[in-house]
Amino acid sequence: MKGGYTGKILRVNLTDKSISTIPTEKYEAFGGGHGIGSAVFFDLVGDQLPFEAFDPRNLIIMMASPFSGTFMPGSGRCEVQSLSPGLYPEEWFGHSNFGGRFTAQLKFAGWDGVVVEGAAENPVWINIVDDKVTIEDANGVWGMDTWDAQQEISRRVIPSLKYGEWAELANSCYTTQIPAVVCCGQAGENKTRIGALLHGPGSQAALCGFGGVFGSKNLKAISAIGSGSVPIADPKALMDARLWFRQFQWDVDNPHEGQRFAQRGYALISGAPSGGNVSNGSVPLVPARAAACASCPRGCRMRLASADSNESVCAGSMFARIGGGGFFGGGGGDSSMPDALRGKMTRQANDLMQKYGLGHWQLMATRGYIDFLIREGIIGEGKEIDPDLPASGTYAYYEALFRKISLREGAFGEFAAEAAARMAEKLGRYEQDVNSGSLRLSYWGTQEHYSSQVEVEWGFGSLLGERDLMLHMMANYPLHWMAQSGDPYLTAEEASDLYRQAMVPYEDDRYLVDYGEGPTGVYSDSKVKQVAWVKHYEKFWVGAGGFCGWRWPMCITNNTVDRRGPTPNAEPKFWNAITGNNKTFADYMEIGHKIYTLDRSIWVLQGRHRDLEVFPDYIYDQPSRGGGEMPMVIDGKWVYDPGQGRALDRDKVEDFKTRFYKFEGYNPENGYPTRATLEGMGMKKVADVLEKNGKLG
Amino acid sequence: MPGSKKPENEVDAAKKKFSRRHFLATGGAVVAVDALISSTTAKAAPATVSYPTSKGYLVYDSKKCAGCTTCMLSCSLTHYGVQNLSLSRIQIMQDSFGKFPDDVVMAPCRQCVTPPCVINCPVEAAFIDTENGNIRRINEEKCIGCKTCLSMCPQQPHRTVWNHVTGKSSKCDLCLDTPYWSEEGGVNGKQACVESCPMKAIKLVQALPGQKETEGYDVNLRNDYWYNLGLVENSTHVPPRYAMSQRKPKTSKPKPKPKAKE
Repeated sequence: MKGGYTGKILRVNLTDKSISTIPTEKYEAFGGGHGIGSAVFFDLVGDQLPFEAFDPRNLIIMMASPFSGTFMPGSGRCEVQSLSPGLYPEEWFGHSNFGGRFTAQLKFAGWDGVVVEGAAENPVWINIVDDKVTIEDANGVWGMDTWDAQQEISRRVIPSLKYGEWAELANSCYTTQIPAVVCCGQAGENKTRIGALLHGPGSQAALCGFGGVFGSKNLKAISAIGSGSVPIADPKALMDARLWFRQFQWDVDNPHEGQRFAQRGYALISGAPSGGNVSNGSVPLVPARAAACASCPRGCRMRLASADSNESVCAGSMFARIGGGGFFGGGGGDSSMPDALRGKMTRQANDLMQKYGLGHWQLMATRGYIDFLIREGIIGEGKEIDPDLPASGTYAYYEALFRKISLREGAFGEFAAEAAARMAEKLGRYEQDVNSGSLRLSYWGTQEHYSSQVEVEWGFGSLLGERDLMLHMMANYPLHWMAQSGDPYLTAEEASDLYRQAMVPYEDDRYLVDYGEGPTGVYSDSKVKQVAWVKHYEKFWVGAGGFCGWRWPMCITNNTVDRRGPTPNAEPKFWNAITGNNKTFADYMEIGHKIYTLDRSIWVLQGRHRDLEVFPDYIYDQPSRGGGEMPMVIDGKWVYDPGQGRALDRDKVEDFKTRFYKFEGYNPENGYPTRATLEGMGMKKVADVLEKNGKLG
Repeated sequence: MPGSKKPENEVDAAKKKFSRRHFLATGGAVVAVDALISSTTAKAAPATVSYPTSKGYLVYDSKKCAGCTTCMLSCSLTHYGVQNLSLSRIQIMQDSFGKFPDDVVMAPCRQCVTPPCVINCPVEAAFIDTENGNIRRINEEKCIGCKTCLSMCPQQPHRTVWNHVTGKSSKCDLCLDTPYWSEEGGVNGKQACVESCPMKAIKLVQALPGQKETEGYDVNLRNDYWYNLGLVENSTHVPPRYAMSQRKPKTSKPKPKPKAKE
């Protein structure tokens, strides 16, 4: 029996109000999630590219995976794909995902995904209750903040809904669950390029500006609730797999080396519950629970007795910093403020960002650039653009900043709503400020996350993609943060060896995670393989499988005696049990390669060329500011080292790219996929479209 | 159907006696109410019939639950071979916008001392399985789908669960009949929800829990490892790690703990 899929994808055309289905089977070779989303996008509009993100022809695709709705640990994120108003210099076909319960409910309602095309004449929302789908009038909901809108829509979906009781959906089908709603806020309604999609109080699809795409379609929200089943091919094998996986989890009652890994520095990476919300860390603590997305055994979020910063993590709980600090830039305000008050004000300021539906990661770069421009006297009092903001680091500052951007209020609001890259472009300063590092947009208009000079798989993986990689669990959390803790549980040599063993099919290469500058380091063929592995893992397991980038891959873990993580055994064990396939980890990684090649083909149709895939000058000309320590081979020995002071070499990066393109089956002259590669992957149609556009590699 | 058998005589007798009566219960104390005046709560009738108590109960810690719904999916998987929240015999509800601890409600079957589902079933599909630790069960083959057990369950939400696929009622059997799991269930066995809960927020106990409201069932299963994550129940609680960090002691030496691996 085939499992994992419900068998149909919902297709909604907002222009002519038609509702139809796409059979999932047609796209199952792409796995699910991102893979199917890319294939559907190419089939429906690929031959019309390029066009703009706010063009009604643009699609917004929300995909679940075969894992969604099952208890596959750390899966179930919703993959959103569309042309991206937030990316630069082109609005690349991008992706962003969010956690929570949306894909689970979508699957229980009987759908593997939703494809929205066209634009409604007046504001609407889409109502999915099992197999019944309607386009509803958004009167009274349009203009609401994301929190109010979700709760209002839930009431409209099930008027009789009482929290904690059964509700009848239809025909004696019952649920105790609240409808899962994803929506844009005012930032999206007004088509800002920083508009996010929000699900629940804190789950964001933050990158790419997809809230603005919702706004451009007059689409406020999509709600899903269902009572159906996700079919499972081998239920016994799935249950056995889930119980087998317990050995890799943080044991909440008696954690492995619990005293050690409870220490500061391990909070984010140990797999312990609640570590993602960093705004409730000082006494007196606000009473709270660890809160998990559907099926996640970690529960990195919190829900507080004060209900502020519920389900927000990382930047979502700490971007807007009140009263000093400035973990994510900014700062200022009254530093004498008591910790408890500082924490509460910080949480509430961040909640305001969530309510407006602003994407925190893009907002961060924008806010930093606003500060820079004010300091430089380019904008400000008496200038054409005057932010006229209250004192930085206060709640009033954030309230005004968020409001002006979200509502495009005045000249400053219009300016900042375009996000950092286009702000710089408008001022004629893009080249100057980005190349100098004053505005650190390292890849495609998204902010530098970790050092591209040292943690190169992140930098290369982003540059050869379309946005910030956001794949923390590859090497960043397990290696950077483990070493930075001052108490690494593996030596650099041990860690690199365990990584090698997990990184199938390149497990014979001993130097996959050598971050040094030697012959086996950051420009080597080993690094070509590591970056390819990262892209393929990103496209299949994270993208098509709906994995959380804070959970997967797990090449090592502190929770086992031998530090071995579940990768690469867990992924196919679960996928095969659910779907009934019988493929290996390497087989699925090859599908990841195929999806990456398809994405690359779409970018090529939008104008991508290898000449565009270059870092800003500061990455080559200025020394790394350091950060965590990574495993490196230095003088023939594995050590942890921060790579402090390193700048990348232009010629060596270009040579690296040439070898990467060849390795992936692309023409090194331009980075375009070749016909042989595409046809070898069963994508002749893609090759034909590229050829028709003169862009076949 | 493993463990399936007819109810014993005293239950038969009880059903004959009370079959036309409705039962309301608060915190497990059952009160007989005439069907014709079912909106009026009568005084407790003298207990003339006793039922053998279950030898197993699920207790839980609703403050420890993270709302991942793994328990629900394990339940539907092991019983029906699919993953489906609506078919799960344990229900977890959560309000993402709510305030801790009211943002989560855990709702497993209480294995009631005086089980309204058993007493009121008109066809004896709901029964006490005396061969298997007196678990309150439903024989879906005998169920006629009248939903009486749903309306008679005094809990909110009702712990008898409607199976819309079969058109029958179901309820927690402590995993006695799990065709899609290789483990043995029942009062001396394992339960899918208990085994799969990553927060260890559900536990099987043999002793009858206190019957007042949810006190005996919704218990504290947390220890200092939990509190050290910063997850406290009240703001005056300073977990050991936070107290230690205020005193800035030396870090304790790590002691590897042996852990079983498959």
